Amino acid sequence: MLLLKVDVYVARGVCRVVLNGELDMETIAQLQEVVGKVGEHTLEVDLSGVSFVDSTGLKSLLDINNDWRQKGGRMLILRPQPDVAEVMQLVGLDRLLAQNTAPAGEER
Amino acid sequence: MRRCLECAKKEPGRPCVDCKYFIQQGPLRRVLSPPVRVLLEDEHGKQYPAHILVFNTTGFGLETEAPVPGRYVIRLQESLWVEVAGVPFRGKNNVRLFDIICVHRRQGTASRLNSDEYQLLAGSAGELVQEITRHLPEHLQDLVREKLLAEVEKSELINALRVGKVMKYEGGRFRYLSGQADLDLPMEEAEKLMRQATRQAEHRREVIISADGQKVFDLHGVPFDYRSGGLLAFDITEVIEKERRMHRQEMQAYRDAIAAVTGGRLYLANGKEMEKVVSEGAELAKGEVRQTHDLPEARRAIREALPALDSRKRHAIALCLSEALTNTLKHAGGGCWQARQSGDAVRIIVRDRGPGIKTSELARATLMQHYSTKNSMGCGFTLMLYYADYLYLNTAPSGTALALDFGIGPADRLKQYQ
Repeated sequence: MLLLKVDVYVARGVCRVVLNGELDMETIAQLQEVVGKVGEHTLEVDLSGVSFVDSTGLKSLLDINNDWRQKGGRMLILRPQPDVAEVMQLVGLDRLLAQNTAPAGEER
Repeated sequence: MRRCLECAKKEPGRPCVDCKYFIQQGPLRRVLSPPVRVLLEDEHGKQYPAHILVFNTTGFGLETEAPVPGRYVIRLQESLWVEVAGVPFRGKNNVRLFDIICVHRRQGTASRLNSDEYQLLAGSAGELVQEITRHLPEHLQDLVREKLLAEVEKSELINALRVGKVMKYEGGRFRYLSGQADLDLPMEEAEKLMRQATRQAEHRREVIISADGQKVFDLHGVPFDYRSGGLLAFDITEVIEKERRMHRQEMQAYRDAIAAVTGGRLYLANGKEMEKVVSEGAELAKGEVRQTHDLPEARRAIREALPALDSRKRHAIALCLSEALTNTLKHAGGGCWQARQSGDAVRIIVRDRGPGIKTSELARATLMQHYSTKNSMGCGFTLMLYYADYLYLNTAPSGTALALDFGIGPADRLKQYQ
């Protein structure tokens, strides 16, 4: 069984990485590998299909964000599920959330 | 000064060591018996053997062929060497006074020996080392002495070395050499140590508790050849007891501090208390984590074991289990977990056999949000503190145990009986 599915969509200078599954010590490498190949200015990580993120997963999101900012780019986290959003808020990562994020299921 | 020249002519047989004109008389003047063998090294690296006959904190009376005047370095230990300069017209024959110009230590330099260094030469440690090396073949003496002094220096118990016993081991028999004769050693253990030391031709050290459990000995075995060696034994019972007492006090202080900042929710349990905590109630599920792919498996198992809880609580419990297990993977190569139910609480227990959390890092590791020794965000404990109602932590060099209690509210309990 695949624990994390990573899909990449690129359009108009924006790379959207859509995750499905769980993000933890076991699966962060998959995300890091995909993100390592992204060259676009803006990176969007869609968490709507992620049912579980722990502190190791959050740390890897934070690292990716720091990386992107250092390169002068922009990274946004989209549509976390409520449990995940709560954990993000607890560790202060909600600042990475896209403002006015469209609710899960609705495409831009 | 002229006295020495005259003395050399008139009384060539009179020893300089006891002469008050040779080296300053005073309470810190020490005659070494037997003399300590050292090497003088000049700036070109040429070495002259010498014996320290007498010394105080500012000078040495040496028996040596080294030319005077002249500047030399004496290496007393790996990280301790002394620059000396020969004083002309002081002493006679081959006995000369050398002023200490500079003492180099790992921590810096000084113009005289400090009390520890003085003790090293004059006090028990130096004497013990002398005793042992005196019986050695000449070509081995320096080597063994150097090794031994380095060992003694490394041992943080240098202050406890006052009490000791030195024995010579030869072909299975011990002979008392010096020190505290009535020190009652576990001879069987001592012989085993000496056998290992002589067979492997290397210094062996072991801390041994006496058969009645009343005394703790620090035993050093120093091989001379394949069948003989020296045994140094120190009674460190008091030192150990002192350390234990300090550790207990320290733990109590940490316990109080941590309880205070967490509102009493994080409790540092001792081994006995922890045994009780991990055995209360009935087991719901258990598992083991050795690799990262065991993590999602553990979360699945715990969710399945708690079908009646609402999804938010199940998520919280799975998250905390995941955090605790991730810690065991990062710091201890894995661990095992258990879920138990006791009354109104689900208790998650995670144990590992890692090196434990150092007392000095305990507060930071558990309470600071971004502290981590292993490069993660370090907020795992923060999350556990947020979601769990009570946390019990026991950590020792043999491993760490963490128990997390999650209260089950009345609504959860109703669901359970549905």
